[in-house]
Amino acid sequence: MIFILCALMGLAPPTNVRAYDTPDDGGGSINIEWQLSPDDAQIDGYEIYRSEDGVNFTKVGFIGKSRSLNQDQTEDGITYTYKVAAVSDTLRAFSQPSMEVISSASWINVAKMNIYVAMIIFGGLILYYIYHARKGKKLFIRKIAGLQAIDDAVGRATEMGKPILYILGLGYIEEIATLASLNILGEVAKKTAQYDTKLIVPNADPIVYTVAREIVKESYTNVGRPDAYDPDSVFFLAREQMAYAAGIDGIMTREKPATNFLVGYFAAESLVLAETGAATGAIQIAGTDALAQLPFFVTACDYTLIGEELYAASAYISKRPLLLGAIKGEDWSKVIIATVLILASIIGLVSRFPILSLFQ
Amino acid sequence: MKKRIPLILIFVAGLLGVISFVIPHPSYQVYDEWMRNDLLRVLSAFAVVLALGSLLRVHFDKIRRKRRNWQYSWLLLVAFGGSAIIGLFGGVAADGILPTTVRSFSFDIQTLYENIVIPLASSMFALLAFFMASAAYRAFRVRSTEATLLLTAAFIVMIGVLPLGYSISKHLPAFVQWILNVPNVAAQRGIVLGIALGVVATSLKIILGIERAWLGGGE
Amino acid sequence: MKIYERLMTIDRRIIYAILLVVVTLPLVFPSVLKVTPMTPVEKLFTAVDNTPDDKALILDCSYAPQIKAEVEPMAIAVLRHAFKTRKKILVLSLYVEMIGLATRAINQVVEEFNSVAETYEDSLIYGRDYVFLGWQPPPIVPMLGMGESISNIYVVDYYGNQTDTLQIMQKVKNYNDISILVALSGSTIPISWVAYAQNRYGLRVGVGCTAVSGADFYTYYQTGQFTGLMVGMKGAAEYEELVEANHGVKGRRVASEAMLSLTYAHLIIMLFIVIGNIGFFLHRRRK
Repeated sequence: MIFILCALMGLAPPTNVRAYDTPDDGGGSINIEWQLSPDDAQIDGYEIYRSEDGVNFTKVGFIGKSRSLNQDQTEDGITYTYKVAAVSDTLRAFSQPSMEVISSASWINVAKMNIYVAMIIFGGLILYYIYHARKGKKLFIRKIAGLQAIDDAVGRATEMGKPILYILGLGYIEEIATLASLNILGEVAKKTAQYDTKLIVPNADPIVYTVAREIVKESYTNVGRPDAYDPDSVFFLAREQMAYAAGIDGIMTREKPATNFLVGYFAAESLVLAETGAATGAIQIAGTDALAQLPFFVTACDYTLIGEELYAASAYISKRPLLLGAIKGEDWSKVIIATVLILASIIGLVSRFPILSLFQ
Repeated sequence: MKKRIPLILIFVAGLLGVISFVIPHPSYQVYDEWMRNDLLRVLSAFAVVLALGSLLRVHFDKIRRKRRNWQYSWLLLVAFGGSAIIGLFGGVAADGILPTTVRSFSFDIQTLYENIVIPLASSMFALLAFFMASAAYRAFRVRSTEATLLLTAAFIVMIGVLPLGYSISKHLPAFVQWILNVPNVAAQRGIVLGIALGVVATSLKIILGIERAWLGGGE
Repeated sequence: MKIYERLMTIDRRIIYAILLVVVTLPLVFPSVLKVTPMTPVEKLFTAVDNTPDDKALILDCSYAPQIKAEVEPMAIAVLRHAFKTRKKILVLSLYVEMIGLATRAINQVVEEFNSVAETYEDSLIYGRDYVFLGWQPPPIVPMLGMGESISNIYVVDYYGNQTDTLQIMQKVKNYNDISILVALSGSTIPISWVAYAQNRYGLRVGVGCTAVSGADFYTYYQTGQFTGLMVGMKGAAEYEELVEANHGVKGRRVASEAMLSLTYAHLIIMLFIVIGNIGFFLHRRRK
């Protein structure tokens, strides 16, 4: 009856319904694919029907017209069959049922193979150069002005008898900018311990605060000055962005630090901090991978570590060969990526070249 | 030993994190989810207690020793206690255990947020306008060829984005779009590419224990 | 003090004071400055304008109070545009603290139109012409879920109505029925719309953002992932201009009123840069 009605109204069902276990997933999902109904332009969309016994179908989903793929949430281990219906108002044109299908979880995500290959190549290169460095090969690293200035900056603070302010930014502990900043903090703390200069480290994140405190303490111990460590030098200030900025501005205007480090992840508060610091006459060393904030730091600070210079900082300061090796590996990875990009661009340009299309 | 345990922990945790990317099977993902969500949340809760403790300790100490500007510390303590009480008893939106509504006014976190946090945050944000002016005045000097180029580009963009730009030349706004769309984007892509690789290398160094300054440095 | 030294070391407070006067005066005595729309804004306008009758728009009002001054005029301009051209529009916010700002914008524009409407047909009717879906956390849920079914994600709207009973939702089922989504935000939300809704469901995304985040977003506009882009107060003013010029919508144009203030502020900053450089130049000559 329905078939006759559909034929009369000219509503053709979708065809070739194919149901298969969603690949590379954690199970619980089946993909249903079909060929669009010839009347696709006139219909509202498609309804997906599912059955566990092949007889009784229930509606499990709806998707708009011109789409030929849907995912259904299922229970692993149960055999399902699917039908797809083209829908127009109250009319339904059902397809033939699909083959039986069972969903299951995959152990390996094959779709990400390209990422594994890239991971192995880049990881391998970095490890190779680290291994090289371990064997005592001398590696060159170009000068990074901002990091060379650290010694002077600490020295200046000592001479002036003023503190050093180290701002870690708003980042969470899992952000690489924060980790890189903590690395630099470790080195700066060693220097302040040696020169007996006061260090102030206000924090915006509780976890980062606990880590920063440990780092400063360890650094003081490592250079043999555990007595000089002041537990209140590292403290939690505020999580709210502008409250954090206001608090630091207060510290800057009251304590007038000789040097401000602004290293880590920053957002709109970057210039509020940097400009106040500049107004108090401090030397400022900034570093961030937040692109939008770089112009502000470059304008208002004396030195700025841009993007990966920040990540390289720890290697640069400590000059440990293993860390330098990693940077060398990174550089070669960049060479590979740049080459691939250039080749791809050339191929892209050539294939669109008008002369070539003459031969098609 | 004190160094070795954290290094082993980070190696194992890092490796497990990488594996979760490879294995979509639920028997592994359940564990990964637990580590990412539950464990991290528990750790954060402890850290919050430590952090607030640190904040209070610093300010109590300031008051006790009458250090410079110790009066401000009272302000902080009162605001801290006040908002804690309002949050605990007044609730987020007047849904707390105490009746804190007086006519149309209710004492709750939403009220504090709307009437204190928002105006204060907006004022701080508005300061940017002034700071941009003073920073630009101080820093934009034609010291070198590059600086001259930068300044020229900056002037063109600044005039071009203004309504004034169009009346100077019809083509100026289009040229500004080109600057933003081509040289600006090209430079940004370069930096982003470097950052992405730097993230890979830094993560690898931390997982392998080569980078250990976060442990307080040392060999 | 030598003249060049004086030019190079103008007191910060003088700069601040002059800037304050220059920014505030045009705001106290507002007048609309004519702006010429640039391509990114025109593209957005055209995409909204070309919405066919059987499709709707989504307006994502995810802007925080700090950036209200920059982004709210965009919301109002897009709403005026949609209402004037009788496009169906769905409004939502991805964060709870932004709901208040979204309702403010909707109420203002609806009031503008209904105060001059003469017939029932002319009026804007909730549920027929527009709907406020409200907020459904976390953001990724509506971003992905609306690709399958909008009324499954927002079962009830902000006012508690069953969405599938609303007239507007009868023909608007999922992203297939959406011509473009306009995301207004100061954060990376528009990029998430691309990552989830566009990559998976082919949804077109237009963006309105603050001037500061504009530089970041040009990358996505250049690749075509963002159909159009309104950047900062100037972008909002351009959209206001397009709406008034093409559809004759009258109403207060907050962003356009601020253009004079913005122009003066830019000119003053440039003037100070020039003064500083004259000082620097004289100083170098002296050496």
